[in-house]
Amino acid sequence: MAQAFLLLRLALRNLRRQARRSLLTAAAMIIGGALLIFSVSLGDGTHEDWIESGVRMGTGHIAIQAPDYRVSRKIEDRLSAESVASAQAALQSPGIGEHVVEIVPRLATGGLASSPNGARPTEIVGVDAIAEARFSILDDRLVEGRYLEPGDRLAAYIGSELAEGLEIGLGSRMVLTAQDADGEIIGQLVRVVGIFHTGIPEIDQGAIHIPIETAGAWLNANGAVTTVAVLVDRSRAVRRAVRALEARLADGIAAGDLTVLPWPQAMPALDAAVKVDDLGNYLFQGITFGIIGLAIVNTILMSVLHRHREFGVLQALGFTPGQTGGLVVLEGVVLTTLSGLLGIGLGLFLTWFFWRDGLDLSFTWQEDWTFSGVVLDPVIIPLFRTARLLQGFLFILFVGTVASLYPAYRATRVDVAEAMKFER
Amino acid sequence: MNEQPPTRADGRSEQTDRVAVQTDDIWKIFKQGAEKIQAVRGVTLTIERGEFTAMAGPSGSGKTTLLNLIGGLTRPTDGKVWVAGHEVAALPGRELARMRLRNVGFVFQAYNLLPVLTAFENAELPLLMLGIDEPERRRRVHELFERTGLTGLEDRRPGKLSGGQQQRVAIIRAVASRPALVLADEPTANLDSTTSDSLLDMMEELNQELRTTFVFATHDPQVMERARRLIRLVDGRIAADERRQPAREQ
Repeated sequence: MAQAFLLLRLALRNLRRQARRSLLTAAAMIIGGALLIFSVSLGDGTHEDWIESGVRMGTGHIAIQAPDYRVSRKIEDRLSAESVASAQAALQSPGIGEHVVEIVPRLATGGLASSPNGARPTEIVGVDAIAEARFSILDDRLVEGRYLEPGDRLAAYIGSELAEGLEIGLGSRMVLTAQDADGEIIGQLVRVVGIFHTGIPEIDQGAIHIPIETAGAWLNANGAVTTVAVLVDRSRAVRRAVRALEARLADGIAAGDLTVLPWPQAMPALDAAVKVDDLGNYLFQGITFGIIGLAIVNTILMSVLHRHREFGVLQALGFTPGQTGGLVVLEGVVLTTLSGLLGIGLGLFLTWFFWRDGLDLSFTWQEDWTFSGVVLDPVIIPLFRTARLLQGFLFILFVGTVASLYPAYRATRVDVAEAMKFER
Repeated sequence: MNEQPPTRADGRSEQTDRVAVQTDDIWKIFKQGAEKIQAVRGVTLTIERGEFTAMAGPSGSGKTTLLNLIGGLTRPTDGKVWVAGHEVAALPGRELARMRLRNVGFVFQAYNLLPVLTAFENAELPLLMLGIDEPERRRRVHELFERTGLTGLEDRRPGKLSGGQQQRVAIIRAVASRPALVLADEPTANLDSTTSDSLLDMMEELNQELRTTFVFATHDPQVMERARRLIRLVDGRIAADERRQPAREQ
């Protein structure tokens, strides 16, 4: 213990009294640490934005559906009124209810939209106008007319490309044809009250919102829905909420009446995109820190070679080679710890600075960048997560420690007699 | 020649109390490319506790190598070295380091103080490594600073001290832990004669008061004059070994 304390004292003195060398080494770590925290915060903010956009365009953070509905997309795979009631009750229970922001029932089916000028395959979704307006961002994408309102009966809110394909506009009538709950093909006349444009081709070409009451009556659903879509306060609460819901709805799940899908399962393409982007970020950060690590190896190694005589003296006085190497590692760890903390502090400041108004990249932006059902926002709001600070700090500490290992090894290999020679 | 000194149950020599250093037919051969350089050739030597010995000889005679072999800074190619009863070459790295820490003090021609430490910190370093508590460390180092006329310079770093002052600090560092043996390699080579004289006075005093054994590698006539035993090395071998009355005492 006393030896470790002595090594620490020596390490601190070496660092303090070789301020220029210490600062040079620390500078790389500080900048790297700041960039790490800032880029991770930007990445997390971007992903949260993607998820937010994706779940609001899609089936929420959590979707409660009949087990086969996700694949079949048919109304015959619907939730009964009892299943909906039990799902609603579970969503309001303690441990879940406090995270739930919005719940919307949807009755959706694949069908055909026809006008005198043509027909197109569509995804017809019966929605509660008020709840859906709070849940979805589709109403924000209005380009003409209005979104659905309470009291609407034969109203339809359709995508811009569908309107274009059917050559219809506001006030136009069209016929929706689909299979009802009894398997009969039936039609429903609706009138266009609003047109939206998201930039996502599959939504703009195929999505139609109609009032859920109209859809229910038309499709003989008798109060059944195909999806109960749920928004929670943050995407990280999803896993825990799903576990709690599965526990609450265990009987219905066991009976094969329903299933609880977290967004990564409901939207696997978005989940894959987030994971691939994360991987790319980690790879980039790994390469950045690899380069920083090499720079640190170089700086510490140069300092070790420069301190050849010093290590020789220490060993002549009674330091073991291990203690000499330990001193180098300790200096690396102390320097890395301090510079890592400073770098994280700087990264936090950058995150806070851009957190207020976001990092606006619209000057590089083309209109409507979309992927996997997500509309990208050119303003990135960095997201601060405490766990990321710890991860970042441990990563920096790891790089700094590993970077000091080779120089430490070299310090243990000092030829004491050679190091003590008087240089003329 | 190859016989070991008789040992006790604890593995240390019975002569430990009397003998500070013993070498038995030690050789040191360095390889330089294809060439082999015999720096030390079969030196057998006994230095008793409290001796004030100088090893003299021209450059390349093997003085420094012999000193390094005794101090365990380098291992012999052949032969054995005992210091304070420990067979130096047989000790594994960690124990060799402990042996040096407890038994041997070094003084180098280039002083070799640690530049990041103050004079005081340099001097107390071996005491810190030995785990001696702070009051005792301070007492010992301050006493030696006072004795060597360095009081007031404790907080200076080596770069702010003259050569003589640095060498005094190096000597304090070597003797503060009260080792049985101090090995000094050309300790006066960079100093003027007055400074050298006062340093030698100091080392003689310590030798007499604490019975610390001093072994010098030198070609400074001043050191040779003061030594009570003069070993002359030529081409890695002992050419002469004379015990004598130092010039001052005559």
